[in-house]
Amino acid sequence: MVTKVPFRYVYQQRIPFISRNATPPNLHRIGRVKVRKRATARRERYRPRGNMPSSSPAVNPLVNLRLRLALDSSTINSEEAMATTNPIPETTAPPVRAGADLLVLLAAMPPEHRQAVLANLNAVFAHEEVVIASPDPLPEETEASFRFIPASASKVNWTLTAADFVSAYQLADKNQARAILMLGPESSSLSPAELHSLAGGVLNASVDLAVPCYALPPYAGLFNSAILYPVTRALFASRVRFPLAADLGMSLRMSQHMAVTAQRFTGANQGETPVWPVNEATVAGFAIEQFPVSPQPPSHSNRPDLNTILPFVTGPLFSDIEVKAAYWQRFRTLPPPFQLPPSPQARGAEAVMDIAPMLQAFRLAHTNLQEIWSLVLPPASLLGLKRLSATDAAAFRISDNLWARIVYDFLLAYRLRTLNRGHLLGALIPLYLAWVASHINITASGIDPERHIEELAAAFETEKPYMVSRWRWPDRFNP
Amino acid sequence: MQIVSLTMLQPVVELNTQPQYADNTTLWHHITESLHQSLLNVLSLLLAILPGILALVVALAIFTAIGMAFSALLRRALAAVKFDERLARGRNSLDWAPSTSPTELTARISFWACVLLGLLIGVSAFDASYATATMQTGALLPYLTRIVGGVFLLIAGTLVARFLARSVLIGAVNAQLEYARFLSLGVKWLVLVLTAATVLDHLQIGGVVVELAFGILFGGIVLTLALAVGLGSRDLVSRSLESRSEHPAESSSIHHPTISEESIRHF
Repeated sequence: MVTKVPFRYVYQQRIPFISRNATPPNLHRIGRVKVRKRATARRERYRPRGNMPSSSPAVNPLVNLRLRLALDSSTINSEEAMATTNPIPETTAPPVRAGADLLVLLAAMPPEHRQAVLANLNAVFAHEEVVIASPDPLPEETEASFRFIPASASKVNWTLTAADFVSAYQLADKNQARAILMLGPESSSLSPAELHSLAGGVLNASVDLAVPCYALPPYAGLFNSAILYPVTRALFASRVRFPLAADLGMSLRMSQHMAVTAQRFTGANQGETPVWPVNEATVAGFAIEQFPVSPQPPSHSNRPDLNTILPFVTGPLFSDIEVKAAYWQRFRTLPPPFQLPPSPQARGAEAVMDIAPMLQAFRLAHTNLQEIWSLVLPPASLLGLKRLSATDAAAFRISDNLWARIVYDFLLAYRLRTLNRGHLLGALIPLYLAWVASHINITASGIDPERHIEELAAAFETEKPYMVSRWRWPDRFNP
Repeated sequence: MQIVSLTMLQPVVELNTQPQYADNTTLWHHITESLHQSLLNVLSLLLAILPGILALVVALAIFTAIGMAFSALLRRALAAVKFDERLARGRNSLDWAPSTSPTELTARISFWACVLLGLLIGVSAFDASYATATMQTGALLPYLTRIVGGVFLLIAGTLVARFLARSVLIGAVNAQLEYARFLSLGVKWLVLVLTAATVLDHLQIGGVVVELAFGILFGGIVLTLALAVGLGSRDLVSRSLESRSEHPAESSSIHHPTISEESIRHF
């Protein structure tokens, strides 16, 4: 069992590993290296280039700190600690590992997508010791030296759940893998270079959590832009753009930490609950890096509608925030901004989006849900919503501060159990639709969607004192 | 001797034809006597059950005080041993609001358990004294139990009605049904009517009349809701039928007019 890293060891630092502007590595170079020197060559391939700081423990205090962290952790044995904290080996050749280098955990996906993912993995890790686990039947043999093992199928395959993290760590532990790559059902769109980026950092142990930064069309991932990203950024001081990505790279210690967290849910027969790797890594002080990734094609397979998704994702997020209240109430410095990849144009982006159904849903809710909203929202927010309900569609705008306060008020009501939590999250759906309509209007006026989302995230940061005040004194502070 | 015996066996011819209570004084005397007798009976009954009532009040007061003291003691003891934190270690999260922490819940449960115990002891004492006074053993306690059961039924029914009404309201609003509030009210009153009928039946009040009234009311509400939903969903049903006739191979469920699914991806 693992123990949580004490707060005094928490540090917030990103280690630039591979320059985002660097050209993809020559994937065929490794094939010419002799087999007996494969491990050395592999580490050489992941060595930082250019003006990156040295990762040697002797000269880099950060690595020394991480080494101390690993040694302090009572659950990580010394061998694993050295493996994860000393990315650059000594001059002598390292011993040959008995286990695999990388465990790739595939989500259930159609056969053609699976074949594409395997082909991409083959292009990157043809000479690595890779174990691929999938709930789907896998081919007996491939060109690469991959080893295939069965994995348990998850009921929820469009995002990573607690059961997935427990399963990933168990498989990694069983196969003695150094790092884990979890790929979602739409990972066939990831190119070999992107797969290499995600896996490289965790294989080299320069980062503990590698998350993708998807380049999505303007009107995609809106729920992430409206709630997940701004809340995570404001409360956990993390600039990870997609906190609940379906594709992840994890070091072994990160996987172990996530498994311990997730096991609490699986032990309570809640294995389908989403867990929050970015929040966990931030609180535990693990290094996080995000990598630009090409857009994923839209997929509507097995994806529930908004009425199901929003409570399914928001509830665990609010619960996680409640658990980590001691962490996020302190002031944290935000890391430097991440250069987002250019987002592709949506199909028919020039066409005017019809926001009338969303506004209709909001106005209908404003007529009928006053009784419930008044239990959650302060009078100022209710007044703002009342004005919005009377606004024309063309001029419909929700101010960023109002939206931030609404989300914070719902978070507070979730904590205080002001009303049934299912009802609470259901009552948030029309408000979210109103935000989507407002976002579409704002972007239609010529403002870059990413700029609006960044402004929204900044508004969440501005309103954080409001949230902290209401969190600490819910009865006294009610504007 | 025979003459004497015959004389004795002769019927009395001369009957007393005067009324027994001829004068008003005698009548008033009897009325007063009856009233006094009733008053005495009631007073004696009250005097007999007064100790029971006092026992009920005293038992309730004493056990409430004991409950308060025990609750405060328990709260302090649990806070001293950090009961909440210890319990949170075994759970998946600190899923407790401040007002419903395990310590607070335990203290409240202990307090109300003491109050309930005092109530039971008091009612038992009251029933014993009442039974002794009226010689009707076990007549009051079962009905008191029914009343308590009826109160619990009423509270539970009200809570269920509110929960279902909110569930229906939010679900209908998110499904963009114009008559969401009407539907919610209908469900609420259905449950409330059902609860009221159950409580009256539990208390054995009304008999067949309650059953009949419940049947009429329940049927009326269901019919009203069915008519409202049917008329309100006319367009929805026609659209669904049209789309099914145009695309027979596609989804069989009713497809609500959702928001631009082609261009917007929420997640």
